Amino acid sequence: MECLYGIPGPPLSSPPPNKLQASISDAWVIDDDEFCNPNVNISKKVAQSAALNVINNHKTKQFESSSSTRNNKVNESESSKIAKFNALLNLNLLNLEELRSLAWSGIPNQVRPDAWRLLAGYLPTSSERRQQILERKRTEYWVFVKQYYDTERDETYQDIYRQIHIDIPRMSPLMMLFQQKLVQEMFERILFIWAIRHPASGYVQGINDLVTPFFVVFLQEFLPVGTDLELLDISTLPKEQRDIIEADSFCCLSKFLDGIQDNYIFAQLGIQQKVNQLKDLIQRIDTNLHNHLLKHGVDYLQFSFRWMNNLLTREVPLRCSIRLWDTYLAESDDFAAFQLYVCAAFLLHWRQKLLRERDFQGLMLMLQNLPTSNWSDHDIGVLVAEAYRLKVAFADAPNHISGSKTKR
Amino acid sequence: MPLPDKREFLYKILVIGELGAGKTSIIKRYVHQFFSPHYRATIGVDFALKVINWDQETIIRLQLWDIAGQERFGNMTRVYYKEAVGAFIVFDVTRAATFDAVLKWKQDLDAKVTLPDGNSIPCVLLANKCDQPKEGIANNQNKIDEFVKENNFSGWFETSAKDNINIDDAAKMLVQKILENDKVQANGNSRPTSEPMFSLSKDQDTKSRKNCAC
Repeated sequence: MECLYGIPGPPLSSPPPNKLQASISDAWVIDDDEFCNPNVNISKKVAQSAALNVINNHKTKQFESSSSTRNNKVNESESSKIAKFNALLNLNLLNLEELRSLAWSGIPNQVRPDAWRLLAGYLPTSSERRQQILERKRTEYWVFVKQYYDTERDETYQDIYRQIHIDIPRMSPLMMLFQQKLVQEMFERILFIWAIRHPASGYVQGINDLVTPFFVVFLQEFLPVGTDLELLDISTLPKEQRDIIEADSFCCLSKFLDGIQDNYIFAQLGIQQKVNQLKDLIQRIDTNLHNHLLKHGVDYLQFSFRWMNNLLTREVPLRCSIRLWDTYLAESDDFAAFQLYVCAAFLLHWRQKLLRERDFQGLMLMLQNLPTSNWSDHDIGVLVAEAYRLKVAFADAPNHISGSKTKR
Repeated sequence: MPLPDKREFLYKILVIGELGAGKTSIIKRYVHQFFSPHYRATIGVDFALKVINWDQETIIRLQLWDIAGQERFGNMTRVYYKEAVGAFIVFDVTRAATFDAVLKWKQDLDAKVTLPDGNSIPCVLLANKCDQPKEGIANNQNKIDEFVKENNFSGWFETSAKDNINIDDAAKMLVQKILENDKVQANGNSRPTSEPMFSLSKDQDTKSRKNCAC
């Protein structure tokens, strides 16, 4: 295990490098029957060893639980997980940290909409104020729409509108749902209002893909379990429900993007910086892979820009993006930093295939078309577990990562 | 692997222009002989490879770099443009505004990449979606001829990715220009023409290297 990337294992005993680690480290719950599955909050040390076991089992394809985890083996059923979420969500005063801990390793479909509203900071922790806040925020959104979208747009806004208008019909082109006029109009309003309320960035290509997980989750709230989205005609939903889906998607998107605003400002500086951080990180974690990419002239910007800009939505199927959103939202404000490690884990996941490619063409074609179409929640679980492990092992090195701006 | 008596060239080509002009569709048509009305917006850069049997002795590999149309990528395009030897600038004949931006793209290109002798790289203008009703200057061929001459384009074509119009011809013209430049550069530098622009990967050593030590 220790030689996975040619480096010693992570320093498990080292103190948490930052808030992020502290916020999630006591809550390792891997939701998969094949693996050990502690049904309780566990200590940081246990959590980390559980994470390492997950990764190790995955890499070696030995699915029997190892000796250190056998004792912890608890088969948490979906229903008990839902019960746990419901217990939390129904408290008068929600403990957000607890919700984050629970949500980090995946949220069951039934409780996801409310869990996301709370994690995004759209809903307050106090249960009695929730309905009132919801109604107020939804009304606010529709006031914006009336004020900016339904009226004649001035020239600056017109340019934003045109770009959105061109991009909307071509998002998720293979899903019929997104070809429906009503759905496209909903996205158009969400993106337009967001763009004009964030003049430092405006509309940036790719943000439409970031609306999609919210949209689908809030849509499913109104559909019978198991409804096939491909067969859904959204006009069959009452307008009041469509308006809620739209307003909630907007509000959660806004909160969600607040943490990564620098990704979308002029020149996308946040992303450029993260791409450099990714490069530094891979160089430290896996020199072979890094040198292999360099040797064949592959620049990290060429493939990881999209990973960062779209938060991997273009690289994995929609259902996996939704599962990934559980963890991103549970990371709260720190998810921008965490996403770097998710990208690193994602790249390292393909290292064997990449090392077999022998020229620039082969590498780029692979990096831009990674075979994830069969990925499930489980793969995302492994991915974020690995990202977490990398974060624990490598985040505690300010000279290399966050300190790249400071003097070397 | 190329046959011993074949020359092989590798060229990097940029495809740039306003968003929604049809850059991705043109490349998909050219490389995969396929059209779909809805490709997703390109984020950053997409990459494709086209292999051409140019003549009996020559194989040409075109690396096509499909650059996202949103202008904010300003500074980053410098990285993408590096070592390009040819470019297509695409506009949409149904939207005059996409033509108005052509000059800006051309200037951006010339400012960021040049041939070794300092000249600008050959660039062909594509008036795409010509199967649809045109707007503005796209209706006036003479004006575009003038524009192309004035602004140092190698030429221009009306294209349709949908109906597969002129895309192969446009690519042929661009490759022809690149080959000519190659000869000029080679004569100037006494470099044999058969030498590829970039060294093609001959790195068999990756085979012998252990991929993973565990």
